[in-house]
Amino acid sequence: MNTTKFKIAVLLIAVMTIGFSFTTINKVTVKGSDTMVILSQKWAEVYMKKNPGASIQVTGGGSGVGLAALINGSTDIANSSRPIKASEIEKLKARYNSMGVEIPCAKDGLSVYLNKANPVTSLTLKQIGQIFAGKITNWNEVGGPDAPIKLYGRESSSGTFGFFKDNVVRTDFSPSCQTLPGTAAIVNAVKKDKFSIGYGGAAYAEGVKDCAVKKDDKSPGILPTAATIKNHTYPISRYLYMYLKSKPTGEAKAFIDWILSSEGQTLIAEVGYYPLK
Amino acid sequence: MKKVIVALMLSGFGIANAQEVENDSIKPISSISLDSLQQSINEHQLKFDALNEQLSPLQEQVDKMSKLKISGYMQVQFDMYNYQDVPTSTGLFQFKPGTSETSVPLSTNTVDVNNSFVIRRARVKFTYQPIEGVTFVLQPNFTFSAVTLKDAYVQLNDTWINTFQLWVGQFNRPDYEVEFSSRDRILLERSRMSGILYPQERDLGAKVEANFITQYEIPLKIQIAAFNGNFGEGPIANQVADVDSEKDFVARATYSLKFPNTGLGIDFGGSAFYGKNTVFAAGTYSDTDNKPFQAAVGDKLRKQWFGGELQLYYDILGGIALKSEFNTGIISGTAGSAIINNNPSFNFSGERDFIGYYVTLEKNFGTKFQGGIRYDSFDPNKKLSGNDVTVANDLRVQTWGFAFHYFFTTNTKIGLGYTMPINETSTAIGGIYNDDIRNNTATLRFQVNF
Repeated sequence: MNTTKFKIAVLLIAVMTIGFSFTTINKVTVKGSDTMVILSQKWAEVYMKKNPGASIQVTGGGSGVGLAALINGSTDIANSSRPIKASEIEKLKARYNSMGVEIPCAKDGLSVYLNKANPVTSLTLKQIGQIFAGKITNWNEVGGPDAPIKLYGRESSSGTFGFFKDNVVRTDFSPSCQTLPGTAAIVNAVKKDKFSIGYGGAAYAEGVKDCAVKKDDKSPGILPTAATIKNHTYPISRYLYMYLKSKPTGEAKAFIDWILSSEGQTLIAEVGYYPLK
Repeated sequence: MKKVIVALMLSGFGIANAQEVENDSIKPISSISLDSLQQSINEHQLKFDALNEQLSPLQEQVDKMSKLKISGYMQVQFDMYNYQDVPTSTGLFQFKPGTSETSVPLSTNTVDVNNSFVIRRARVKFTYQPIEGVTFVLQPNFTFSAVTLKDAYVQLNDTWINTFQLWVGQFNRPDYEVEFSSRDRILLERSRMSGILYPQERDLGAKVEANFITQYEIPLKIQIAAFNGNFGEGPIANQVADVDSEKDFVARATYSLKFPNTGLGIDFGGSAFYGKNTVFAAGTYSDTDNKPFQAAVGDKLRKQWFGGELQLYYDILGGIALKSEFNTGIISGTAGSAIINNNPSFNFSGERDFIGYYVTLEKNFGTKFQGGIRYDSFDPNKKLSGNDVTVANDLRVQTWGFAFHYFFTTNTKIGLGYTMPINETSTAIGGIYNDDIRNNTATLRFQVNF
């Protein structure tokens, strides 16, 4: 071994470590969840008005797309309507030597939409899961009329899809579940189809009725309301998250701090979601 | 006055022009009949139906295509290395460029070579997922003169409790460094220990993996695998099937701790390897106590070790990681490149009591740069050291490795690496082994992912 080369290499790495470690972000890019895109745009708009020098760029694409962008370095903040997966954390570890930073920034409830003409008003979590898994296929199996159940759901890149799959369906969706490209489309489909069922953000349920959800057979049916979602008594409530590859600094930190402040949290209700407190 | 006249003339011209528009294409609403509206709707409906008919088969094709994902990466590099002939009892041998192998006959390259362009890896990975829970993976590696198969396996996920996975085919052996993709590696090559214990990284077999994080939120992963045990050893023709019916068994368990408030993550685990090598060439072998014995064809040699691993991640100034593995136990083989069960990186006839480990420090600098330092040590014969070692292959080698990467784009990176192996010296062997052999390597690597 040549000791001179060794010393030079160690010195070089030490200098670069110090030099590059203080790199900070000036412009902030936010990408991900379609559920969160309107909320995030609202935050960015108000924040930039208050801070004219700041540049916050918000785009959607879905939670999976946002997290993939975070991993490959093309966004600073990934919006996600589901918790990050273990496989995505592994990728962050491999690329950035950190586990990423998770920041819950709002709460949301996933409504199970029913047509207003459907006599069924409440279902257990298990029944909903079995319906979307294709194990229960007729409304008469859950106390409704003798009619086949028509399923509507989101595409697999959607965080709403992922959250509903992991927490309610817990297995593969039925192949007969029709995939639609947004919550509004699901609400429209359920509105038109008497024996259909769909799911999506609680704020979107216009022209359809919310299904009261029971944790199990003995529990009471809970409707998704501001109170039940905020206190987590509604069984399908969730956090909305922002993910970063490491602790935020500079403009990103200022933006996130403002989102978590009472001013940023106040805007959440205007968009149709629920603040953290 | 003139201005007033000009203004009046201009306005008159405008009115005259406006009056010329007689055949306005927009008819008053009262003139549109319900029948014509219905006819127009019907015409558009027919057009939409025709478009739908055209789109339906296209959608079917797109759905099929979306089940197939193609990814890959290529690494091309320029290597500069020290060159030194290695005199042996059977004649002159030399280092294989870019490696620590010393068993390459000098006749393959009779003049010094100290730099070379190299295609290190050129791989395309095809992942086909016909339905949720079933995945087929095929990954060939392209080299100048041949295409070799790196991965070819079927992966089945349990759809009941989302915890178990079954892998069958050819895939990485369970080990942290082996399973860590070479496209993400900071130090340009694996440690010497991993290279010797897991030749070619892959093997043919089956693996059951249980991951308790999804269903139970317990960050525990357990892997149990059985392999043919002869992949990467001896002639390549012998690797398409098992050569002796003996299987290698591997078990590995890892657990992850997270401390989000401090930005700290600790992954740790343990593993055990149990297998046997069959003797295919009778002769004089030596055991773990360095005592010679006669081995007959069909005799079994031990291949078994256990190990531990630790990866520590800390979110400080862009992320830092400390990674370490150790293994100790018995490794065996038969010398001679044409012999089945010859491990090219472990060129012994017999069994050896070995110990190996590495410690790597990796650091990210912003989003564009990352660097790492690794110290690794492999002692193939822990019962002998220094001047007691009489065969070069028994010498311990400690290797310092350095690397620094620049991410040119999100999928392109340029890496600079330097590797310094330091071998144990022994006057009993003499010659170049009285001192550290000159075999350092500098590499400039370009990598693109897609």
